[in-house]
Amino acid sequence: MAGWIRAFGSRRRNNKPVAQTVGTSLADLPGQPAPRAVAGGLGLLAAMARNRAGLLGFIVFILFVLIAFIGPFFVPQTLPADLKAIYQAPSPQHLLGTDSEGRDIGIQMINGGQSIILVGATAALLSTLISITFGALAAYLGGYVDTLIMLVADVVLTLPQIVLLAVLATFIKLNSPWLLAAIIALLSWPTLLRAVRAQVLSLKEREYVEAARVLDLGTPRILFLEILPNMANFILMNFTIGMTGAIYAQVGLYLLGLAPLAGNNWGIMLNLAWVRGAIFFKQSLLYILAPVLAISLLQLSIVTMTRSLEDIFNPRLRGA
Amino acid sequence: MSTVTVAAPRRAVVPLAVARAAAAVYHSYALQRVFKAIITIFLITSMTFFLVRLLPGNPVETYINTQIGQYGMSYADAAQQAAGLFSFNPNEPLAQQYGEYLVALAHGDLGRPLLSQGTTVGELIKSYLPWTLFSVGVGLLISFSLGIGLGMLIAYRREGLVDHVLTATGSLLHSVPNYLLAIMIVVFLGVQLGWLPITNMRGAYSPGVTPALSIDFIKDALYHASLPIATYVLSTVGSWMLIMKSSTLATLDEDYVTAARARGLRDRRIATAYVGRNAVLPLFTQVAIAAGFVVGGSLLIEPLFQYQGIGWILKNSVNQRDYPVMQGIFLVITASVVIANLLADLLYGRLDPRIRITAEE
Amino acid sequence: MTTVGAQPTTTPQPAAAAQDEPILSVRDLCVEYRAAAGIVRAVEGASFDLHAGETIALIGESGSGKTTLGLGVLRLLPKSGRTPRGQILYRRRDGRIEDVLKLPNEELRRFRWQECAMVFQAAQNALNPVARVWDQMLDTVRAHRGARRDEVRERCERLLGMVQLEPQRVLHAFPHELSGGMRQRVLIAMSLLLDPQVLILDEPTTALDILTQRAIIEVLRSVRAELHFAMLFISHDLSLAAELADRVATMYAGKVVELGTVRDIFYDPKHPYTLGLIKAVPPVAGDLFEISSIAGTPPNLLNLPPGCSFHPRCAYARGQCTTDVPPLYAVAAGHASACHYWSEVQLSRKVIDARSGSLLPAGEAVPSPGEAAG
Repeated sequence: MAGWIRAFGSRRRNNKPVAQTVGTSLADLPGQPAPRAVAGGLGLLAAMARNRAGLLGFIVFILFVLIAFIGPFFVPQTLPADLKAIYQAPSPQHLLGTDSEGRDIGIQMINGGQSIILVGATAALLSTLISITFGALAAYLGGYVDTLIMLVADVVLTLPQIVLLAVLATFIKLNSPWLLAAIIALLSWPTLLRAVRAQVLSLKEREYVEAARVLDLGTPRILFLEILPNMANFILMNFTIGMTGAIYAQVGLYLLGLAPLAGNNWGIMLNLAWVRGAIFFKQSLLYILAPVLAISLLQLSIVTMTRSLEDIFNPRLRGA
Repeated sequence: MSTVTVAAPRRAVVPLAVARAAAAVYHSYALQRVFKAIITIFLITSMTFFLVRLLPGNPVETYINTQIGQYGMSYADAAQQAAGLFSFNPNEPLAQQYGEYLVALAHGDLGRPLLSQGTTVGELIKSYLPWTLFSVGVGLLISFSLGIGLGMLIAYRREGLVDHVLTATGSLLHSVPNYLLAIMIVVFLGVQLGWLPITNMRGAYSPGVTPALSIDFIKDALYHASLPIATYVLSTVGSWMLIMKSSTLATLDEDYVTAARARGLRDRRIATAYVGRNAVLPLFTQVAIAAGFVVGGSLLIEPLFQYQGIGWILKNSVNQRDYPVMQGIFLVITASVVIANLLADLLYGRLDPRIRITAEE
Repeated sequence: MTTVGAQPTTTPQPAAAAQDEPILSVRDLCVEYRAAAGIVRAVEGASFDLHAGETIALIGESGSGKTTLGLGVLRLLPKSGRTPRGQILYRRRDGRIEDVLKLPNEELRRFRWQECAMVFQAAQNALNPVARVWDQMLDTVRAHRGARRDEVRERCERLLGMVQLEPQRVLHAFPHELSGGMRQRVLIAMSLLLDPQVLILDEPTTALDILTQRAIIEVLRSVRAELHFAMLFISHDLSLAAELADRVATMYAGKVVELGTVRDIFYDPKHPYTLGLIKAVPPVAGDLFEISSIAGTPPNLLNLPPGCSFHPRCAYARGQCTTDVPPLYAVAAGHASACHYWSEVQLSRKVIDARSGSLLPAGEAVPSPGEAAG
């Protein structure tokens, strides 16, 4: 899961010496380049290449979204089972072959992305909202509220997410995608919360917040108008990474057979393919590979996109 | 001049000792961490308790109802049976149940599986947990070491070919979900290309071999565990590598590295004792999360390879709704993650002298 | 940036007996950095000579190139730094003279610390935070010689004693357990481990409180008296120069603009920049002089003004200054100035009458060195 690399930023122990107002430290030498800054032609090329990868990732992601949401309008939603056409190899009629019930795989793939992406986005959105709210509150109010929230965050962070999800899925009937999204969101907020809290803590001391406080503008207003816009980029990146985590959790649940197998999405396809032994036949390879590749590509595109966002927003390595 | 003697107020000795202990904990990083780990485990055990009893679709009630419906038991009898299996009595008040639950836990009593009542959950876990710990442990160790080595390598050879290739590969491996990697291994290497004897590699060890602490057995165990280990390594090494790379790059900028060069130290010495030693520190904060992730991932990965560890058992029990087993395994998995977290934190405390004395973060 | 006109003169040297040859001779050194925006010329043709047992203070503001120069002597520049021109001639104990810039890697490694050591600022993270002081000292010695532990131990204890530190307290401590002043002294002791001929100090008293500054200055004086090394220290603090230096070099925009003895610089500066520096520092004791600052700001090193880099801020600038880069003209024996019109530069300050606040006529009450110190 790509999510855990994000925790790095918030728990980094920063031991840099206090900036000197007089005298020169080695870092202030003229022309001293930041590690990722563009120093010389080769570095510039590398940055552009990285950003080109990000652009590519972004395009691929948009393509996925378009196909997933607009594609279904052009293909039939339910396919009749045709037992004479099981596990057929790709042909002009069935571009990706057929599955164990003779249904066209290509059509299923087009239909299959919508639910996955939607639930992923919803879960990420919910998680982001929870993180922002409680992270900002914890930092701003401090004291017991802070300690309590951090304790809960630590506990949730320690729990292996997929295990808890699996256990919960046995108790709670996950018949609605929104419920699935909600549960996933409930387990993925701690990482962003720590980061939000750290940022709010540091921004709290800044002058314009002091000024706002003096003008008695009220806590919510200060939070939303002064502090959060500064973190917009960071929040966006955490949202996209959160999506990858949510997709991971979702598909995992489908693979375990814990999310309802009604309907049609890539996760269900994966589960059915595995359970029905699609791995053993050469002709049925696409049945299992198509969803595997699609999901992998989707995750890859999101991660690449986010990494480039990080490059663009954060030319110096981890300044905060 | 008269002297007035005022009797000093009597103070019990105990509070002083407690105060001293509290001060010791407050000031010692190690003790703080241990304390936190204990609290976390306590919270989790309580959470598990309330989870089972208070969520909708209470499995205990479900079980009782099933017994009543299918076997025509009376409520009392069914409740009695449930008590034995879930190690609690549903008729008692919640607080008392909680107390009994904790007592039972302290005795290592986790109940009995619904589907094989001849054994206890504890026994079940004891026979399968070592395999998971083995494969996950080896996997994490390899991944960590490889990640550190490669991360430093590409930091030293920034912008070179090695850097771009490894960074791209690491990024790729890191994005693909680990269970999909496992499926791809099985599909391509095992079935389609026949490079790996997948069927032979099933199970934690070859049938007919008795577990013993011998080289042969360990080799056999590694043979069987190699695919899960490979999956764990492939899915996590990319992240370690990238974190180590950025950490090393930041460390290379530090003044003490320039000062070390000024002192005429050899490059190798600087790389290990000055750069490596410092760059590796931030990674320890990630070990806990990685451990949790990999252990949790075993739930998905082990069934794919038919590797009989705790993840495999958990999946079966989840599919069969065997609640006592699920509950017990959940507890054990989480406790191991907390302990791994604790060990990583303590190790970090040993490695970074700056935080040994002060308990502030 | 061409040098036109008078031949550049390095400081006139005394009769060339082998003993009087300078230990370190920097000739026309140029250091530049490659940045995205262009080439930053941090040091532009700097020249000076350092003799055995002598102390030179390199004075300049931030961005004058002084730290770069210091690092450049040991070739410790970051990857983007280059030395396209110049020589750094070093005279070994056996009399051989080598150009540091041409040393191959392994010899450069041996040159560092054994011949020429550098003391970094205490405020900097100059010590490995996860290793004890003893380990770092041992590392240093072991990198150059295969000495026995007890020998190294003895030497460390002796050096730490010389810098007024208790070996027991310091050797087994981690850097973060020591105060700024203690760290500075540890760095000084460490620099002397291999008995170098030259010691370079970068801002040795910056970011230390005033009492600690005094202590460090005393320590430097006493170690120097005992070990007789040549010292080059880099600072923005003129008073430090008055305390410790025999000669002073002022730097501006990457060039050495004036070089002379302490007395020359303080009482008879011949470069407008040095003049400005002197006039900006009020004396503690003695008469209160009119204080004036130098108008304008330091130039952008990416885009230096043509001719003399100081001319936009200079009261004496005219004609030639905007086109010809001034070389170091010889003013007197041991005194040089890079100003076309150095003969016109005169230090004259008006004394402020403490009672009335009005100015007394110029030329009165010249202060003694102790009073000129800040």
